[in-house]
Formats: sequence, C-alpha cells, structure tokens
Amino acid sequence: MSVPKLEQLSQSVVQGPSLAAGAIPTRDWMDIPVKFTPGSYAYVAKKDKVEYLNSQSGLSFPNAREWSPEDDDWKLPEGWKEIILKGLQERLGKFRSLKIFMDCCVRCGACADKCHFFLGTGDPKNMPVLRAELLRSVYRNDFTLGGKILGKMVGAREMTVSVLKEWFMYSYQCTECRRCSVFCPYGIDTAEITMMLRELLHLVGIGINWILEPVSNSNRTGNHMGLQPHTFKDNVEFLVEDVESLTGVKPNISFNRKGAEILFITPSADVFAEPGLYTAMGYLLLFEAIGLDYTWSTYASEGGNFGLFTNNEAMKKLNAKMYAEAERLGVKYILGGECGHMWRVVHQYMDTMNGPADFLEKPVSPITGTVFENAASSKMVHISEFTADLIKHGKLKFDKSRNSHIKATFHDSCNPARAMGLIDEPRYVLDHVVDWVEMPENTIREQTFCCGSGTGLNTDEIMELRMRAGLPRANAVKYVHEKHGVNMLSCVCAIDRATLTSLNDYWTPEVGVCGVTELVANAIVQEDETRGELEEGLRTMVF
Amino acid sequence: MDIAEGFRFHGDKIVNRWVEYTLSTYTSSGFFLKERDKFANPVGGNLREGLQKLFLLLSRDADPQEFTAPLEQIISIRAVQEFTPGQAVAPLNAVKHIVREAFAADKERQHLVGELYDFEFSVDLAVIAAFDIYMQYRERLYQVRIAEIKSGNHILTDSKCPSSMLDGDNKKIIKTVNGI
Ligand code: SF4
Ligand code: SF4
Repeated sequence: MSVPKLEQLSQSVVQGPSLAAGAIPTRDWMDIPVKFTPGSYAYVAKKDKVEYLNSQSGLSFPNAREWSPEDDDWKLPEGWKEIILKGLQERLGKFRSLKIFMDCCVRCGACADKCHFFLGTGDPKNMPVLRAELLRSVYRNDFTLGGKILGKMVGAREMTVSVLKEWFMYSYQCTECRRCSVFCPYGIDTAEITMMLRELLHLVGIGINWILEPVSNSNRTGNHMGLQPHTFKDNVEFLVEDVESLTGVKPNISFNRKGAEILFITPSADVFAEPGLYTAMGYLLLFEAIGLDYTWSTYASEGGNFGLFTNNEAMKKLNAKMYAEAERLGVKYILGGECGHMWRVVHQYMDTMNGPADFLEKPVSPITGTVFENAASSKMVHISEFTADLIKHGKLKFDKSRNSHIKATFHDSCNPARAMGLIDEPRYVLDHVVDWVEMPENTIREQTFCCGSGTGLNTDEIMELRMRAGLPRANAVKYVHEKHGVNMLSCVCAIDRATLTSLNDYWTPEVGVCGVTELVANAIVQEDETRGELEEGLRTMVF
Repeated sequence: MDIAEGFRFHGDKIVNRWVEYTLSTYTSSGFFLKERDKFANPVGGNLREGLQKLFLLLSRDADPQEFTAPLEQIISIRAVQEFTPGQAVAPLNAVKHIVREAFAADKERQHLVGELYDFEFSVDLAVIAAFDIYMQYRERLYQVRIAEIKSGNHILTDSKCPSSMLDGDNKKIIKTVNGI
C-alpha cells in the first residue's frame, strides 16, 4: 500500500517543474528547449546603452532594440544565422585556442561535476562539458566534415533560434571562473568558450544590462559606476577625512599628478560602496605609512574591466585606457588594487592586445628595491605582492591585536588565483596581520569556488540563481564558521566584496566580508596616530 | 520487538531510501547521490546530513524545537532552487511511506506498522516547521536583495531607483486594486 502512495506523492509534487530542478530528463539534452521565466535571466541591455556603445569608436554592439527573453520573438536582425556562423568562422581563424577547444574534448567528464552552477542546480547543461557542447554542436554541423555528413549521430546540430536561446541562458549561467579547466586533462578552458558565446550573441544584439551599462559608463567616464571626475575625487577625499578622524593620520593624496612615480588603479566600487570602502581606506593608510609617491587618476578610475564580459574589442579598449593614462602622467609603472577581472585581463590578455607597455619601466618597489620581474612586461604590480614584499623586508610595523576581534578565512577569488596564480602572497600578508584559518582543501587555491555572481551576474533579479551557484563557496564558509568560529571572509576582489556579502547574508549572516588591505591597515602602527583608544579596530568603529 | 528497535534495525536503509527519494527531485540525481564529499557535493552532502539527523530526532520522538537545525540545512538550499514551495518541502513527507514500506516487508516487524502514530505525528510537525523555515529563508532572500540595493554596490549612476521600474505598471496595479 505504501509504495503506490509514494509514487503518488512524487507525481503530485514533482510534476512539471522546470528543467533546471525537477524533472528527470527522458529526452536527449538537445531536445529540451529552454524556458525563460522571471528570475531565470538577467535583464537585457537597455536600448540607449546599446545605441551609445555601438556609436563609439572601436566598438560594435548592433541591433539595439526593446525586447524580452520571455517573448517568442527576440527581434533578431535579418540574416542573423549567417551573422552568427560568419562570426564563428572568423573567431575560429583568429583564436587558435577556440579551434583547439572545439576539436580536442574527448568527453571524459572530468570537468562535469566541477562547476558551481552544476553543483547548485543539478542542471546537466551546467556541466562545463555540455556548456561547451552548446557551441561545439553547431561547430560540428557547419565546420567539420563528419558533422556535415553524419549530423546528429556525431552530436552536430543546426543553428536555430532555440539553440540561440539556449546559448543566452547558459552563457549567462557561467561566471567564466575557470574552475573546470583545472580538472580537464587537455586544459580546455570553458570560460573562453563562454566568452565566445557571449561575443557571438552580441553580434545579433543579445546582451544584459548589468554588463553593458557598466561598459558604457566605463567608456564614458572611466569607471563602471559612471562617476564623473569631480565625484570620484570627492569620494576619495571623504575617505581621507574618515581615515583622519579614525586614526589621527591624514593621508596625502593627489589626482592626475604628472611625474608621480606610481599610478594607483583599483575598482571604483572600492571608493564608493561598502564594504569595499574600508579596503580603500586601507590603501590610503598603507601608502601613507610608507610614504609612497603615487597618484590616483580620475580618468583611469576603474580597474574592473567589464569589457571582458562582452567581447575582445570592448575589453581591449577599456584596458588600453589604464595604460594611456599611465603614459600621459609619465609614471614609472602601475600599482593595482584588489580586483578580480582587471588582473585576468592584465595577466592573460593585455600583452597581446595592448602590450608590451614599453613606455613604462620595469616595476621596482621604491621602498625595498625589489624588482618585480613577473610584471616586467605588463608593468603592473598587484597590491598583495607589493605588500608581502614590504612585510618581508620589515618595512611595516603591525599590532596584530587590533584585529583580535576577527577570526578570518580567505577566499581565493577566481581570477587572481586561477588566471594569475596569486595564491601565496595574500596568505603571507594575512599571517602577519590576523588570526585566520583555511577553508577545506578542495575549495581553495586553484580549486577555489566562485562567489557565484562573477562576470557581471551580480544583479538582483537573479538572486536565487546567485545563491544556488554560490552554495559550494558558502558551504565551505559555513563549515569554518561552525568549526573555528570564523567571523570574517577576506578576499582580494571588489566584486567579491559585494557578492560575498550577499551570499553570506543568506547562508551565514554571522560572517562579514573584507579586503585583505583593510586588515593590513587596521594593524599598521604609525607615528602620531591617535587610535590607541580604539579597542575594536577600524571596521568595528565604523559600524 | 518494539518500535525503537525497529527504527534502529532499519534506520540506515530508511535514511538511504529517503535521501535517494529526495535527491531524485534533481535532474542530476546520480552525481548528487554518489559523491560523498560534502564540499565537492554540497547539495547531496547537506541533504544527506540533514535527513540523517532529522530521522534520528523523529524516531525518538524528540522535541520539535530540535528539528530546526537539520530542517534549515535542507530547506535553505531548496528555497533557492527552482521548486515550488510544495516541491521544496514534500520529500520530507516521504519518510512516512518509506518507514511503512520497510516495516511491512519485514515479517518480524510487520506489527510495528500499527504503532506508527507518534512517528507520523512528528513527521507532520516537521513538515509544518519546514514551511515556516521555507518562508523565513525566502524573506531573508528579499532582505538580501534590499540590503544589496541600499549598499550602493548596485548603483549605476543613470539607473533610477529600482522601484521606479514599477512606474509604468503602477497605474495598472492601482487600477486593478481599485477594481477600475
Ligand atoms: S568556467 Fe566556471 S562557471 Fe564556467 S563552466 Fe567552468 S566551472 Fe562553470
Ligand atoms: S575534462 Fe576536458 S576533455 Fe574531459 S569532458 Fe571536460 S572539457 Fe572535455
């Protein structure tokens, strides 16, 4: 009697859920069409933003229009299919890696269960191997002999509107985090396949607002917030005042100063939004403590490169702006703040797109004399390596007890960890300034789990998606919170500071989020400071 | 043989079946079932752990207050996946049927089927608590959204306040409310 009842229970509740979470697929994945419902997609780009971007030199964002993914008709341009196929052909010729990635997957499945979107949703199309198949199936159909002859038998399929819709759904359920690539025996980087999918979609006017508006702002004012130079300057000055009232030390700052030794660039979110503000205050204190000869720029006022999430032209243009400003100001090199995708672009793409930056000098720390050979070509040094070097040479005096109210852990942000190998430097810094513990081994360093909201997916209309994609990360945070009493999640990425805050607010509200430099500055002891009376450290007082 | 012994004897089997049933509500249930590392498989791992703990509590007639922790472990996850509220909570109910099935198939313990009133009542309480927890987590999600919008992380200068997006629809909504 009980067995039929159980079946009845399943039938009455499990029937008819969307593909992503309930139904057991009885059909081949290719035959299951995607369905767009509120919450399953990020809002599409506003028409005026697309128009503006399309009118800018070096950029192409055609087919601006009002449309919705929920409509049957996406108002695609005339001949859209040819545009896509031609676009793919061009890219296969231009990017050798794409051609290799299309050809060499043996479908071993090693990557299948490594993606946080798959782990959080159980949706097979979120397995990296299937995500890549979305493009590969079309590639096979139109660009390989086997596919042309044998079609579906070899996993080939024609480019149709429904395939296009699937591309949109799943290229925006990938944060280009590269975790899957760590496990692939062939080094196939599904993140780059997602990048190609997004590029191709832009050719026919498919893109999301949370990415295109920041790109358009960055193009227009130099930062993704769209802050104009005077506002940017005001904000940094406010932070100087805050630092002064908290510590008694007034940091010296300058803007657009020609002849400064170093240009400092960080994500604009750090000077504008919590909790990044505290990291920015940290930079100010740190630079003051060592008397660094540096300048901010109100034009290159953004480290984050939202162009990376659209197409290579936009990425190139936004990256070039930082170097153009460095050249204009005549600095020796660039020091970069805690950011994720800025570093990926600098480390992986800058040299071939805009480099080498021969007009700058090989970076040397003015305080320790250390030559940063690793940055010899990009001419850009990461704040964590810069700080670690200062500590190593005993140039900073710390009072670690100022962070004694904090038990920290460290989140390796995907881009610094996997795209530039910045893994030990922030840990070395943390060792000197705070009591901290690691999260479980298979969730850190190269294997780190994404915050779930990277690549421009940190928009609130897809909050549920972000929470389930962030579950693998949050799950490890929760573990160290319960086991070791961790109450602070530190990281070196501005997007993370925003997205992990939301993630923790849902999964582990007891754990805050901070930048590594915030903890550094909190522990720095300087002459003439007056914060001796602060028992609870800088952040706590701000609260 | 009393019912406590019955639960002990069949416990592992019941929990396994319950976990299997619950994970079958996911498309890729195979992986969620197989991978036992909780960090490599957070959905499978947490659901298994939560159901294990919950079963122990249910089978020893524990204070329903104690259900909260394991229920949160399960429902916090299902509240952000693509389930209706009913679908999110329903697998909890399945344990009633699974227990009956296990006892009924065991000649020595068949008679225990008639003694399940207290156990099933506990399950009912757990299901009711699960709905409350589901709602708490949904509310928390909305709070997270609001906090994010307020933090400034969200602001793109020439975007308007998110509530202004309602503008166009507002008139329609007001009309509907007023029955015009
Ligand atoms: S790059 Fe990251 S998000 Fe994209 S498929 Fe790989 S693991 Fe998933
Ligand atoms: S691990 Fe590499 S070769 Fe194996 S299925 Fe994934 S992409 Fe293909």
